[in-house]
Amino acid sequence: MSLFIKHYRPGSIFKKQILWRLNSSVAENHESEEEFRVLDILKKRDKQQKRVARRIDVPADRAEKMSTDQNWGNVWPGPRSFHPSTVPLPIRQGYVPKGQVPPGKKANAELMKIPNFLHLTPPVVKTQCEAIKKFCTEWPKLLNSDEAIEKHYPVEVITSDYCHASPTIRNPLARVVTLRVKLSTLNLDKHAKDKFLRLVGDHYDEKTDLITLTADRCPMRRQNLDYVNYLLTATYHEAWTVEDWEKEKMEADMEYYDWNNNQSKKNLVNWYHHCSNKDKALSEDEYKSFDISVIDHGEEYKLAVSSLFNDGESEKTINNYDTAVRKLLGLPERKAIE
Amino acid sequence: MLLYWLPNFIPQQHYAELSPENTESQKKRDKPLTYEMANPPHYIAHRKTWNSWNTSNLKDGIRRSETALEDEFIRRFMNGTWHGLVCSEIIIKRQFNHIRVAAIIRRAVSPTKMYFLLGYSEELMANWLQCPVTLELQTVDSFKDVVFKYI
Repeated sequence: MSLFIKHYRPGSIFKKQILWRLNSSVAENHESEEEFRVLDILKKRDKQQKRVARRIDVPADRAEKMSTDQNWGNVWPGPRSFHPSTVPLPIRQGYVPKGQVPPGKKANAELMKIPNFLHLTPPVVKTQCEAIKKFCTEWPKLLNSDEAIEKHYPVEVITSDYCHASPTIRNPLARVVTLRVKLSTLNLDKHAKDKFLRLVGDHYDEKTDLITLTADRCPMRRQNLDYVNYLLTATYHEAWTVEDWEKEKMEADMEYYDWNNNQSKKNLVNWYHHCSNKDKALSEDEYKSFDISVIDHGEEYKLAVSSLFNDGESEKTINNYDTAVRKLLGLPERKAIE
Repeated sequence: MLLYWLPNFIPQQHYAELSPENTESQKKRDKPLTYEMANPPHYIAHRKTWNSWNTSNLKDGIRRSETALEDEFIRRFMNGTWHGLVCSEIIIKRQFNHIRVAAIIRRAVSPTKMYFLLGYSEELMANWLQCPVTLELQTVDSFKDVVFKYI
């Protein structure tokens, strides 16, 4: 209807209207003059509008306009995938057969994949370190060596923090707490030390003298830390208590060979008395407290026998025992058999 | 032909069929391959790298299935949103909770549209994945720029 009104001219109404109704493409001829387009239901347009591919003007690479004395940290301030027009380096990446040139930096997906450290150039690292320096405190002067640290802080607590590339910051392994302490730093007497070692069992390492307690049974780190602290405290105080039944400990229950309590000492003392013609019967306690330094080479014999039992039989301990016995009995030294 | 040009329409398991070893019978050498396609999957870590970088891939990594699913979702979303424009694989790099999506895009639409798509993709993915998402795009003139070889 609008078309009709638009083109209303006296005398030409009828003709125009008919024409439009017969063939809508006729009306299209007037399109350039008209404001409104005509609905082309039958698709009889002979002129198909071709899509012209417009070239978008791409400005020159940023890298080409860079000055040589610029601050690279401002160009590449943070971690970012490689971008060829920002990096002014003639980089190539890719595997090609021998004799060919690897693909250049433009449209190279391999360069975009690999993590780059363009944001961590040495000057940038230096400035960042300078910037965070004001948050650092001075290291205590007295803790200048590992020995000093060990002396003042004997208990070592080891935990792990995990960083991952996921939206979660939780890691179940972060709950594990390990406590390490040197046995020598604990205040234990002979009985308590023996009991303590029996209580901790496998957690003690003889080579390093370390007691290692690990807890992972609780869901949170704090709970596990409390638990290892409790374990150490409980074991320590338990080691110091002496139960009634502990007095019933026999020679067979000893964890090591104590020469003073054994038959070997009695034999030596009896032999010594017999040689000096002072045979006398001694009580059990007198045997134990007998000072063997009066016997020539007695101390040496004691050490040899103890090491033979405690360290086990080996060529060294046997030879040691041999020498000690020969000295004790005044026998000549063993001749090397050719 | 356009479908063929799009690297993402060729599933990864079919790359091997297009690899140079199978080209003896191919005489015309009119099939374009990107660098990614030219190297079959067993060359990963030798000639090409992974398309997903995260710690879930590592041994005893956590959130493995979730990460794999999210990566697949990001790939499909990117290919659908930037329809017919993506000339490379979608590279997904994760750092903490930050997801960086890199791709090579064809300059077939106006910069205005590109800026819109950029913000649109970042905003929507950030909302779905509940993580900050950054798109790191590189543009090329046409698909021909990413062709590595013809077989």
